[in-house]
Amino acid sequence: MTARIALLAYLAAIVLGTTVHAIGPLALGLALVLALAGREWLRILRRACVAILLFNVVITLSYGIISTLQGSFSLEFVALVNLRVLLLTCLTFLFVFRVNPFDALAFSRSLTFLFTLAYSQSMAFKQALEDFRLAFKSRRIEPVGLRDRYRHSARMGAYFLDKSLHQAGEITQAMRSRGFFDD
Amino acid sequence: MHIPDGFIAPQMYLPAYGAAIGLWAYGLRRLRTALREETIPRLAVLTAFCFVLMMVMLPLPGGTSAHATGIALLAILFGVWTAFISVSLVLLLQALLFGAGGVTALALNALAMGLVGSAAARYSYLLLRRVHEGFGLVVAGWLSVNAAALLMALALGSQPLLAHAEDGQPLFFPFGLSITLPAVMIPHALVGIGEGVLTLLMFRLLSQRGWVSQP
Repeated sequence: MTARIALLAYLAAIVLGTTVHAIGPLALGLALVLALAGREWLRILRRACVAILLFNVVITLSYGIISTLQGSFSLEFVALVNLRVLLLTCLTFLFVFRVNPFDALAFSRSLTFLFTLAYSQSMAFKQALEDFRLAFKSRRIEPVGLRDRYRHSARMGAYFLDKSLHQAGEITQAMRSRGFFDD
Repeated sequence: MHIPDGFIAPQMYLPAYGAAIGLWAYGLRRLRTALREETIPRLAVLTAFCFVLMMVMLPLPGGTSAHATGIALLAILFGVWTAFISVSLVLLLQALLFGAGGVTALALNALAMGLVGSAAARYSYLLLRRVHEGFGLVVAGWLSVNAAALLMALALGSQPLLAHAEDGQPLFFPFGLSITLPAVMIPHALVGIGEGVLTLLMFRLLSQRGWVSQP
């Protein structure tokens, strides 16, 4: 299956998942997605649960309180919404796990380059952010006040902006030297 | 700030995709006509910058936290369409890599944050900088967050009307506008102040380094 067909199948499955409003078929769909994940099913399920946890807990608790006060609480709704969100998130992670998203976007040369560059830069920045976080944490001997945390965040913002503009120049030169702009 | 997957009915996200695809194509064409050697790398690193900025959590008094978006800064420095494409890419990366935002809500999030937020920021800044540049930047930052938040609140709050079962139970996001609007807008009114201050500080930093040309 080519990446583009996989992308279309994934998008169709996403739309289908939002047109089904019964718990049984959604649960079956989730089981199918996890089966397709093979040995990685637990990893995908865990990642999806972590990704949706915060928002879904807030919505579920808020719904539980408000609908109980209004006398309209429905356990079926709670199960339906949470199951649907879990299914869609698992589907997305399965797609990313099984298919190279760069291949799926290969219909546009500019878009592929843009996506590849943005992805690689984002991952490098994410790693640097984690390094900063750990460095800040390791240098604490007592709880840090809000002022210092703001200053730390501001310095990180300035660093990443500096880095971004520097990288833009570097990448342009690298692409030029490889003949990217010659066509 | 993102709307996650599974809370927006297809009656809304499919037309949103229809609109967004047309606007993405137009935005990319605008970029291509202004294509210079540095356009693609610049856009890529700005996208990465926006991506990482959304991961820098700013602590708020009381133990909660919020994050900046950098959308106002992008829109003021590089224009609405560049900001729209850049923010859309950030949202796509976040949806695919972290499951944040989600693919069904991608178009709506991109339209709200990338287009409406950017346009509100850029045009308010262009209008207000004649009065006071600093004030214009803070207002632009505040509006970039709150214009997008308002659109998202309207989208979420209209779900019970758009999609519900025969017995009236909602099928997607369960709360109407009377709950969603204050729940979304009040925190974002505060978060917007942080975004405004950040926009001002970052703009001044860039001005000092000679990276800002008047839009």
